[in-house]
Amino acid sequence: MDTKPTDTPIIEIVRATKIYSPDVVALENVSLSIPYGEMLFLTGMSGAGKTTLLKLICGIEHPDKGLVEVAGKDLDRIKNKEIPRLRQQIGMAYQDFKLLADRTVAQNIGMAMEVAYQNLKTIKKRVIELLQKLRLEHKHDALAGRLSRGEQQRVAVARAVANSPALILADEPTGNLDSKSTKLVMDLFRECNKRGTTVIIATHDESIFKDTDHRVLELQSGRLLQQDDRTISALNNMP
Amino acid sequence: MKFINTIVVQTGRNLQKTWPSQFMTLLTVSLSVLIFSFFFLIYTNMINTGEKLGDDLRLTIYLEEEPVLEMQAQLVKKITNFSPVEEIRFTSRQEAYDSLAKQLGENVDVLDDLDPSFLPPSIEVYPKKNLSTLAEIKKFSEYLTTLPGAIKVQYGQEWVERFNYFTKLLRAIVILSGILLIMTTTFMVAYTIRLAVLARQAELEILRLLGATNNYIRTPFLIEGFLQGVFGSSLGLLALYFLYRWIKLNFTGPGILQLVNFTFFTPAIMAIIIFASVVLCIGGSFSSMRKFMRI
Repeated sequence: MDTKPTDTPIIEIVRATKIYSPDVVALENVSLSIPYGEMLFLTGMSGAGKTTLLKLICGIEHPDKGLVEVAGKDLDRIKNKEIPRLRQQIGMAYQDFKLLADRTVAQNIGMAMEVAYQNLKTIKKRVIELLQKLRLEHKHDALAGRLSRGEQQRVAVARAVANSPALILADEPTGNLDSKSTKLVMDLFRECNKRGTTVIIATHDESIFKDTDHRVLELQSGRLLQQDDRTISALNNMP
Repeated sequence: MKFINTIVVQTGRNLQKTWPSQFMTLLTVSLSVLIFSFFFLIYTNMINTGEKLGDDLRLTIYLEEEPVLEMQAQLVKKITNFSPVEEIRFTSRQEAYDSLAKQLGENVDVLDDLDPSFLPPSIEVYPKKNLSTLAEIKKFSEYLTTLPGAIKVQYGQEWVERFNYFTKLLRAIVILSGILLIMTTTFMVAYTIRLAVLARQAELEILRLLGATNNYIRTPFLIEGFLQGVFGSSLGLLALYFLYRWIKLNFTGPGILQLVNFTFFTPAIMAIIIFASVVLCIGGSFSSMRKFMRI
């Protein structure tokens, strides 16, 4: 996956619908086009469908209807072999962190780079750099299970950006953070975005997108409230 | 190189976390190899001894009368027509008497009152090596009894038959212990890997989400299977070697072991046993992963 902007958007979602058994509509007819290098905020109340939308984008879930394309690849038709490569290029910070409690902070962050077969020296250097940026350097060898929720959240963010992915998906990345830590996390995301990484942040924390110049899209009961010009134009071009 | 480094680190980490179950599997593999190899070692030695005995095998035909030269030539022709032989030796009554007297040594006086012609003349037939199975020997012996003037044919029937049955029994034990080895090795390794997979379910799930390839997830488990095979079988063979040395040291007196030239496996056979164990262990590991990891 390339981080350079091209004519093709990095994410193209067309009329995606996701229904959880038996009849819980998580997303309904959602269409969205996100170009390379954009930073975008997805807002909405709990249960609005933000997490489901992120899961569709990273291929953990599949839509019941509609199309989800990432970097020009239809995630419903992508070959099993290609999935790991795609996921290596997507850094996801999960709402429930998904950290390994019995591993150290450094090992948890390093995992994202290990699966991409980065060498140990590079991993060590990058882990230290990220821990410094998130003011967690003193927790380098601490077990992830012994950290506070806020610290775990920052570790999850560090792991998401560790491999310098082309796309970062962050699900409520500041939900457990105080204002200082929130600023550190948002600065890190902005820095990644400046380098060309596409960043999508799902949040209901208004403080992080209040004065932003970036797009802010709102989800309500599984529907996108506003469609911007870019998405409408993409929809019109669909067969 | 990066792949190898990463996989080595990952394998080391796995072994560190699951060493108690890994150790138990290692012992099970060793024990299975030891049981199988023990019977296999005895079997191969019995086969070697059988071959050696086959080399010394001779059939003695006792005759009613001493054959004249013309008759001797006829008998030789009849015998060699049925089966090629290494050697045919005629023994007259007098030669048989002299031989017995020689064997009796100091006790030769027991023959004083006996007629020197009381022993029957005989023919000793030394068959070729290809005449090795019991059925072939029996068939040959039956044919020799039909020769003109033959009274009886002897070749140590009882001993050869007992030896043959014992070899057959050993072969069955070797096959059974081989099956035991296959089953225990495959199942134990599969079970250990299954436990490791289940214990690390959460980790494997996260690894998949982070983009770990099947090779990244699978290879450390295969290496674990490989290591179980190499070290398990080597340990089993080492234990067998010590057992072999102990047997050699403690049973060197007269007896069966003097007859049997008790030898250990050749390096080639040891390599085959280790290789088979490695294949079984990797197979067990692979089957477990297919079942529980859906990859």
